[in-house]
Amino acid sequence: MKKSNTLSFTDNLHRSGRIFTAVCLVLMCLVPVIYCLSAGVTPMWGSIGMAFSFILTYVAIGLIEAVSYAPILGVGGQYLSFLTGNISNLRLPCAINAQNIAKTKQGSEEQEIISTIAIAVSGIVTTIIIGIGIIPLAIWGADIVEVLKPVSPYVIPAIFGGLGLVLIARYLKLTAIPFAIMLVIALITFLLGKDLGQATMLSLGMGVSLISGFITYKIDRKKTEKAAK
Amino acid sequence: MPKDYVWMFVMGGVLSAFVITMSLVFLFKAIKRGKEIGLDSKKIKAAIKSSAVFSIVPSIPIVIGIGIMMNYLGLAIPWVRMTVIGALQYEIIAMDQIEITKAAIITEPMVATALTIMTISILSGPIFNLLFYKRLQNKLVDLEKNNKKLLDTITGSLLGGILAGLASYIIIAAFFTGNNTGGEELAAAANGYITLITLGISMVVMAICGALILKLKWKWLENYALPITILVAMGAAYALTFAPAFA
Repeated sequence: MKKSNTLSFTDNLHRSGRIFTAVCLVLMCLVPVIYCLSAGVTPMWGSIGMAFSFILTYVAIGLIEAVSYAPILGVGGQYLSFLTGNISNLRLPCAINAQNIAKTKQGSEEQEIISTIAIAVSGIVTTIIIGIGIIPLAIWGADIVEVLKPVSPYVIPAIFGGLGLVLIARYLKLTAIPFAIMLVIALITFLLGKDLGQATMLSLGMGVSLISGFITYKIDRKKTEKAAK
Repeated sequence: MPKDYVWMFVMGGVLSAFVITMSLVFLFKAIKRGKEIGLDSKKIKAAIKSSAVFSIVPSIPIVIGIGIMMNYLGLAIPWVRMTVIGALQYEIIAMDQIEITKAAIITEPMVATALTIMTISILSGPIFNLLFYKRLQNKLVDLEKNNKKLLDTITGSLLGGILAGLASYIIIAAFFTGNNTGGEELAAAANGYITLITLGISMVVMAICGALILKLKWKWLENYALPITILVAMGAAYALTFAPAFA
């Protein structure tokens, strides 16, 4: 393989990513404004104030996710995923799947390229399917949803059963302890009648796993240093 | 169903075109760079093909999500929301902050309020990317140069953490839900037993695919193992929803 110039490629992705993100943020903020102008109404500001704790929670989750996904998605994948959404249930599994097929090395430029391709293709396919999907919804209304609705909640277990096996095979040592801890946390919260929800459990899982991974890393390093002596 | 406005459909079209353009720009940049560094074109083609096939099945519930949300927000708003950033679980909780799903009559100010909450709450990730991500990425590049093992540990831990967080939630929630479906989160609308069976079937099918790839050297199956796994598991889940035992 030829020698790569990683810096200019990633800088290029950063530049495009930032431009697209800025434009997208403007477009996103325009959506409620255009709705209000079209309908001739204003939002109920009091109700927005009442939702302040929810907004704050999701702002925090968004920040945690942006930091946490950064080492996994790669530069192109990060910008694309945070604008197309559905990261944990679609973009990330899609990128991992493509990386496994291409057998890319962790942190390599090859992996960056394959992840970007996978997430870009995934974004295009989803947008097209949504675009096509709203046609029957417009014609038949929500009736058509009733036929397929029962299967919707099972997408995540369907993805993460198979993908979980792949991840466990690759990261068994790093996955076992956080999985056990998260099982206990989930069990306790459910016993207390509290459902933390997928987004919170995911962020919590990453936090627990990072701490556990760092401790494992320290122990391994000490062992290596001892062996070297 | 609340009224849809033409301009909202125009926004949906603009945002769809925007997402496709952005994805194409990144796709071509990545392919070009791949060619420059001598990345095997077969790997590039396999990544495109496998990602396209993989994305079809998980995209269908997003359309179903639009169908669920359209009862409360009309058709155009869910289309816009699910095209950019949105994820169904989040959108439903966000729009229900003003209890729109329980309202007898849904007024336009209610829709405007729900839409504003949904928009504000989800902007922090992209804003972080716009302002700070490059700096964070540069630190990660430095870490890779100075201590690759630590970066690999961080990456592996984060992936393991996603699996740990999601799998533990799915399993425990499923045990507590059992045959009682319902709840605010879409995950809670699932039958717990079907969730566990789906998870199990998905693991078994993936294991079979892995064995076929390794033992029979079916290389072609690598591209389709995960889409096949998802399809079989979801097909089984759909069939099980009709089983009297899980009614």
